[in-house]
Amino acid sequence: MGKYRGWLIAILVLLMAATWVIVRTPARLGLDLRGGAQLTLQVQTTDKVPQITPQVLSAVQSVVQKRIDGLGVAEAVVQTAGDDKLLVQLPGVTDPEQAERILKGTAQLLFAPQKPGTEAQLQVERQIQAQLLLEQTQLLLEQSQNANNPEALADIEAKLAKNRESLAASQQAIANLFAPSELTGAMLQEAFASPVAPGSPNWNVIVRFDPQGAELFARLTKEIAGTGRSIGIFLDDRLISAPTVSAQYAETGIIGGNAEISGGFTAQTANDLAIQLQGGALPVPLEVVENRTVGASLGQDSIRDSLYAGVVGLVLVLVFMVAYYRLPGLIADIALVLYAIFTYAAFLLFGVTLTLPGIAGFILSIGMAVDANVLIFERTREELRLGKTLYRSVESGFDRAFASILDSNVTTLIACGALFALGTGFVRGFAVTLAIGIGVSMFTALTCSRSFLFYAISIPSLRKPTWFCPKLETLK
Amino acid sequence: MSFSVNRQRSLWWGISLVVILSGLMAMAISSVSLGSPLRLGLDFIGGTRLQFELACSTTNTCKQPIDIDVVRRILNQEGLGNSSLQVIDQYGIGIRTIPLGVEQRTRLSSALTQELGAFNPAQTQIETVGPTLGGQILRSGLLALLVAFIGITIYLTLRFQFDYAFFALVALFHDVLLTAGIFAILGLTLGVEIDSLFIVALLTIIGFSVNDTVVIYDRVRETLKLNPDLNIKEVVDQAVVQTLGRSINTTLTTLLPLVTIFIFGGDTLRFFALALIIGFVTGAYSSIFVASTLLAWWRDRQPTPTPSPVT
Repeated sequence: MGKYRGWLIAILVLLMAATWVIVRTPARLGLDLRGGAQLTLQVQTTDKVPQITPQVLSAVQSVVQKRIDGLGVAEAVVQTAGDDKLLVQLPGVTDPEQAERILKGTAQLLFAPQKPGTEAQLQVERQIQAQLLLEQTQLLLEQSQNANNPEALADIEAKLAKNRESLAASQQAIANLFAPSELTGAMLQEAFASPVAPGSPNWNVIVRFDPQGAELFARLTKEIAGTGRSIGIFLDDRLISAPTVSAQYAETGIIGGNAEISGGFTAQTANDLAIQLQGGALPVPLEVVENRTVGASLGQDSIRDSLYAGVVGLVLVLVFMVAYYRLPGLIADIALVLYAIFTYAAFLLFGVTLTLPGIAGFILSIGMAVDANVLIFERTREELRLGKTLYRSVESGFDRAFASILDSNVTTLIACGALFALGTGFVRGFAVTLAIGIGVSMFTALTCSRSFLFYAISIPSLRKPTWFCPKLETLK
Repeated sequence: MSFSVNRQRSLWWGISLVVILSGLMAMAISSVSLGSPLRLGLDFIGGTRLQFELACSTTNTCKQPIDIDVVRRILNQEGLGNSSLQVIDQYGIGIRTIPLGVEQRTRLSSALTQELGAFNPAQTQIETVGPTLGGQILRSGLLALLVAFIGITIYLTLRFQFDYAFFALVALFHDVLLTAGIFAILGLTLGVEIDSLFIVALLTIIGFSVNDTVVIYDRVRETLKLNPDLNIKEVVDQAVVQTLGRSINTTLTTLLPLVTIFIFGGDTLRFFALALIIGFVTGAYSSIFVASTLLAWWRDRQPTPTPSPVT
């Protein structure tokens, strides 16, 4: 029986690994369980942008992400969904109104000349802002690390609020250093990243204006060329870049509507800025097509009820298996508990977000995981009744049930595939959890149950046919 | 051989037909009165659902329960007179309206706060689904159903034969129709609405129903291979009896957690669990009494014996 001992050790190792994963990885709870807001935004087409291309969508995503960062929500998620939608998850946000308002507006891109005599001041203010932004990143990190510590959290949130106020003040201070201008993102035709020289690690961002914008831009650059003052590029009122214009353009300004923004960019940062500009320049409105907000304590109630139901259901199944199938039933129960542990660890490993339907899928898969065992044990009983030896019966029980187990699980997996490919949001979550459940259940039924059962019948005192099929004697 | 599923097949088919026909009738009535075969929920037709609970209910300091007439009056003022309205546990309200924008919603909730008192944000639930998105969810759900049908048929044709696959599909339709029919009846009588979870339930039922059918077919195939000369009716009867224990036990173990969810789980999952309970029971029924008897009937009619399928 050395073969099965090897399997038993492998299962034990797997169990330890799964336990380690469960202890180490915090569960990702869906918004329906932890409370929060989920918004689905649909990108609208306009006369200027008649079609939503992936570029447009990713530009909008970048703008939305920036705006949410501005809201200061920890662990916010912005994902693209389908061809023209964005899914925004804001955990802990119970008032989605503010979020909705901020997200819906079109990003405003503005080019403004710096006011004379503010050079030193700008530098100081930008340093202050950089410091504040650094602080904010640090605080957000602390916030997510202390998610389970309400006392520390309150303290961090107070600091965050203060930081946000200071940032707003600093932003205002910077904006005051620039003169109003008419050159907006609406006049931008294109923005893309380009290396300074072929193969160079330094990149610039090239922007191209429409005729009206080109004229305004020429005037603007002429005004500040060689003065050391800069053109402020504002996205949503936040200064994202402040390039200066060299003296050579003092005569005419930069004409032709093309401009290069240089500032020691890498390929990555240049591309980011191009996307921001492009995104900021896009006058595409967003519409909130779906908004689901769940209060934090409503989610808690649901978790409790569902877990309660799940545990009760599982216990009933365990009891039934032992009562009906005796020793194999007990072994199936062990396999079933292993199944629950492995599946949960797999959820954590795959980063499955646990939602209410997901938990339902999990509970359901426990019921279905029994099926493989039932098929095998029924087969074993039949073989025993035909008078075969215990070992042969168990063996052919596994062999003969395999085709049924495979076929029936593959058909369920096909349904899961259809759900995953065509479903949205939580429907997909359900499909993933069910599919993982089916995969793990095949593994535990065919490997764990099998090894345990063969190990059990290798122990002489357990080798009693009546422990496998209660009424065997009377049947014979 | 004490039990023959084929002997009384007209009875089994009759039972299925009666239930399916009453379901279809409910769908027809529902189509006329509600505009769709099933009572569609927020997920599909779009709208806003608001659920509030008074902040004072957690501290037990509420002076009086919510007066539904006051709420109704506010809704009328906002031009939302057609909304459905429900008072939950005296101090909570559920409102279902046409899709509301941020401004409308804010106005409504502040008007309500003014008249009724502050709400507890931890108990607040807001759902808005745009009408276009609702349509998309329904379409993608139905498409998923269709794709699952096709995928399963192809797989079963490869593993068994086309007639097996076809009758498994008939059993599938049977289960889906029956579950949908019962929900149409529930929609008419109790006002039960279907949401995206219902589509999920239908797809799970499909997986489970075929599951059951495949186990019996597998037995038919095996018995045919061992006894090629046996009459198909007898083969099917044997296969059904041999797998009966498994069918009953598996259905039972699957139903146990579902029933616990139905009883103890939260409101969100209650009707999801019910759909699955109905679907799984009919799935077990159709595998035993519909898919297998139809296969026996069909093969019995074939003039020349078809060669037994290869595993």
